[in-house]
Amino acid sequence: MRRAAPLHPILVHFTIALTATALAFDLLGRVLHAPGLAVAGWWTLAFSAAATVPTVATGVVSRLGVDIGEGEARAYLRLHMALGPVFFGMLVAMTVWRAVLWTAGREVGWWYLAALGLTAATMAVQGYLGGELVYRWGAAVEGRHRDLRQRHASDTPPRPRRDTRPEPAHPAPGGA
Amino acid sequence: MSTFLGWNGLRWLNALTAIMVLLVMVDAFIGHYRSGFAVRAQYTPFLSGGAILIAAVLAGIAPHEGWALQLLLVTGAGGVLTGIVGAGYHHYYGITSKPGGYGWLLHHLMHHAPPLAPFALSAVGALAVLVATGLRGSGAVLGVPLRTAALCVVAVTLAGAALQATLLHYRGAFNNPLMYAPLTTPVLSAAAVPWLILTRGRWALLSVTVLFEATFLIGFVGLGMHLRGFDRMMGGLRVALPNVLDGPAMTAPALFSGFAAAGLTALYLL
Repeated sequence: MRRAAPLHPILVHFTIALTATALAFDLLGRVLHAPGLAVAGWWTLAFSAAATVPTVATGVVSRLGVDIGEGEARAYLRLHMALGPVFFGMLVAMTVWRAVLWTAGREVGWWYLAALGLTAATMAVQGYLGGELVYRWGAAVEGRHRDLRQRHASDTPPRPRRDTRPEPAHPAPGGA
Repeated sequence: MSTFLGWNGLRWLNALTAIMVLLVMVDAFIGHYRSGFAVRAQYTPFLSGGAILIAAVLAGIAPHEGWALQLLLVTGAGGVLTGIVGAGYHHYYGITSKPGGYGWLLHHLMHHAPPLAPFALSAVGALAVLVATGLRGSGAVLGVPLRTAALCVVAVTLAGAALQATLLHYRGAFNNPLMYAPLTTPVLSAAAVPWLILTRGRWALLSVTVLFEATFLIGFVGLGMHLRGFDRMMGGLRVALPNVLDGPAMTAPALFSGFAAAGLTALYLL
């Protein structure tokens, strides 16, 4: 493994898988009244919170090495950066809430499940933005950004797109 | 005293103290590095904060050792004093000695040494003193019960942090509606705490709990928006050093979360 290998796109999968699984376990545990599933729900969420700390940290480190100019990709990146800590805060809050329920030996309620669902939805948006950055724009792929490939003075300039729209009608001289 | 995941409230407060002193030192380093450490006293927050961090870690490992608690008490008191002296320095070098002095007060408050920032170290130091006092077996500090004292520290700190954030967000012309967030639940939390202390009512407890929880989340929103703020500048975090130096305070919003968590800890575990 290269020293500078981007870890963030690897670690996000732990966060995504553990959070989604925790939601599934807790939901099934509530519906089926299965205590074993509820215990699994607590532990997967606890591991998710722990795994997300390096996920967030490597996300910031990844940003330091990604060369993205102004444009749509940068807008996605900004939203991804803003949403990351928000999701992490929600995850920490949910983990504390879940720990309170677990230590009290209580079953999770629907309010808890709704809040965890909202957290998972935030994670889905965050994952979508990250996926677009990697698979559409090539961020963190070999440390390059696809739209910023080097151009040289000798390169043929890109051909302008032919405008097929009709010419705008000019007003006749002297007014309408 | 209640416990949560095997730790009592004082041990959780100690862990929060260690995390928050680290955050305070990060922002102090960025600000003091930006000004080039022109005054030797600018190294003081790292000596005092570093000592609190070490003492908090030691107290976390050995919460029943007298020497560890004594160290936490002394370093915490040192942090309180360092913050107060630091505020004096910020006032002198940030306003009094600047051209125009008080005649340009608003300009200096916005663009030079943040006037209230050093009090963050005082607040963290006060938490350390509370933790050390509690772990030594005393239920009160200066005659005030630990829970009440902790809630007072949290309320005053949230109010001060909201004021400092307002100054800096005013400088940023509140260019994003989320920049009003520090003026919402943190201020309401600070206002609701005296209501709770005086009445001890069920509704007051519920209100303060909800406000602290919202403040906890708002801190993370701020953290995300400040990261986005760095990336709005030319080059974004790809050009990290200049943009971090010139951008919004990196870890300051996390202090809202940290003190809200301390407030919740005081409410339910002390």
